[in-house]
Amino acid sequence: MIDLTSTPIIILVILGSVGVALPVVSIALKERPSMMSYGIATVIALFASIGYVLYQLALDHVAPAAIFSQDVLVDDAFGALFAIAMLIVAIFTTVGSFSYMKNKANPSVYFSLILLSAIGMVLVAYATDLVMLFVAWELMSIPTYILVGFLKKDPISNEAAIKYFLFGALSSAIIIYGISLAYGITGSTNIGEVIQGFMVLDANLIPIGLLAVGMFIAGFGFKMGLVPFHMWLPDTYEGAPPTIATLLAAGTKKAGFAAALRVIVMGTVALSLDWTLALGIIAVMTMTVGNIAAIMQKNLARMLAYSSIGHAGYILIGLSIAPFSTIGLQGSMFHILNHAVMKGAAFIAVAGIVTALAITHVDKLKGLARRMPITSLGLVISLLALAGVPPLSGFWSKLMLFGAAIDAGTVVWWGPWLAVAGVLNSALSLAYYGWIIRKMYFEGEKEKRIKEPKSIIAIMAFSIIFMVTIGVFPEPIIQFTEFATPAINAGFMP
Amino acid sequence: MSNELIDFVIVSVALLAIGIYGLSVKRNFIRMLFAVEIIINAANLNLVAFARFLPHSGGQTFALFSIAIAAAEVAVGLALIIVAYRMYKNIDVANFRSLKG
Repeated sequence: MIDLTSTPIIILVILGSVGVALPVVSIALKERPSMMSYGIATVIALFASIGYVLYQLALDHVAPAAIFSQDVLVDDAFGALFAIAMLIVAIFTTVGSFSYMKNKANPSVYFSLILLSAIGMVLVAYATDLVMLFVAWELMSIPTYILVGFLKKDPISNEAAIKYFLFGALSSAIIIYGISLAYGITGSTNIGEVIQGFMVLDANLIPIGLLAVGMFIAGFGFKMGLVPFHMWLPDTYEGAPPTIATLLAAGTKKAGFAAALRVIVMGTVALSLDWTLALGIIAVMTMTVGNIAAIMQKNLARMLAYSSIGHAGYILIGLSIAPFSTIGLQGSMFHILNHAVMKGAAFIAVAGIVTALAITHVDKLKGLARRMPITSLGLVISLLALAGVPPLSGFWSKLMLFGAAIDAGTVVWWGPWLAVAGVLNSALSLAYYGWIIRKMYFEGEKEKRIKEPKSIIAIMAFSIIFMVTIGVFPEPIIQFTEFATPAINAGFMP
Repeated sequence: MSNELIDFVIVSVALLAIGIYGLSVKRNFIRMLFAVEIIINAANLNLVAFARFLPHSGGQTFALFSIAIAAAEVAVGLALIIVAYRMYKNIDVANFRSLKG
């Protein structure tokens, strides 16, 4: 039995009760509460859950690394790292929506769906059973389908939602088919037992195991935005409300990586496949396609969407060299946490710009630094951090990833080439980030400063402090990722 | 015994193939939704058949969960397509061409 005071259960109770209560309250009360009161209730619930995660970590109640258990949920540091990243993103989304949701219909449903999706993301990270993983995956996905299409009168939002829905439904169908195969050949749905079953698999059944792992890669890869499963992603991020694009780019994508780390990496280690080269090729393809396509974009949200495809490629470097290098996996986890804040801040800045000025085109950003100085500063810092400019947070995680890839060259010949591709792509990404920065700071005449929403300013301040502090003192976070990283190569046994 | 496990698996793989064919060929949203449902039901058939032949009943529980979740998913999908129908007066996914690049 899982302890009822363990982190995932408490988060489920806090977020679930508030998430279910919000729409009920909005129907039950005669006098409808204002949008802000729903938003503040949501933020309080999210802060309470992130506080509980940190409290459990501080009390040392959390098991280190990723562990396996007979329960469906487990309270480990691996889950805690992802829970922190995803709850930060959910807070960004909620606070960023304060100005965006002004004068829009159904705020209670909107915030309630964000909370439900946040529960799903957190539970994906904590799940140790394939049934739980699938249920949590759907709990994360289904609210986001509605949120992407939340602007009912807007054909673009609807189009984005339908594209997202079709690919999302296909990906969950593929995942459940993969789960059914894994269940059939190992006789269990518990992830630890499935992996043990894979280790002692009958030689005749190995192709079916391969098929199951391939289906997991495809299914989770759709959410992670890996090439060639990325085609829905730019359309959805462009058409969705920009705050929801934050939730997708920085939140659900990370949940895909959480599921991938628990299932794909460990499953393929157990099957002792030569899967590393395949993942390495996908990583290089993903970052190259993402960054090259981003250069050609004129729409700000679309450019960031392609850039987030590129970042999925960087994170995948760590997964592909996982059996040879713990540092690589640590770098992946660190980059996941960093990317959640960097991309979250960038998309919230876009949401602020869209709300205040209705600008989506990069060319129209001229002189933005004078009109919205704080939002521009936040956007610039997050873009530089995404490109990996020292001394910002993105530099350290990229350094760990690329360094680990070079170290892996002693075991596999293609290790250093991953680092080469990563460095070249980072340089390439500076080109389009630099273009945005040039438009904002060095072009345009004297524009008048306009009033920036306080909620956006708060998010920008937090993320600038986060990125600069971690950039200057990366030690504590690196230690935390070390604590949270599953040890795959050191006598891996579930 | 006429009830061999392999029979169920063959039907399930056939259903998977039909679902993937439907998704790649059809352009009507409802038909594509059916195709996804066929894949999910292929997986359910797998789960129930494996649970019958394994000393483990978890698969049947999972099939129930997955049926309930698929129903929720279809509800959302139909809601989205109703909104689209109000705008375009048909449910062809070829309508959706404004986002590209």
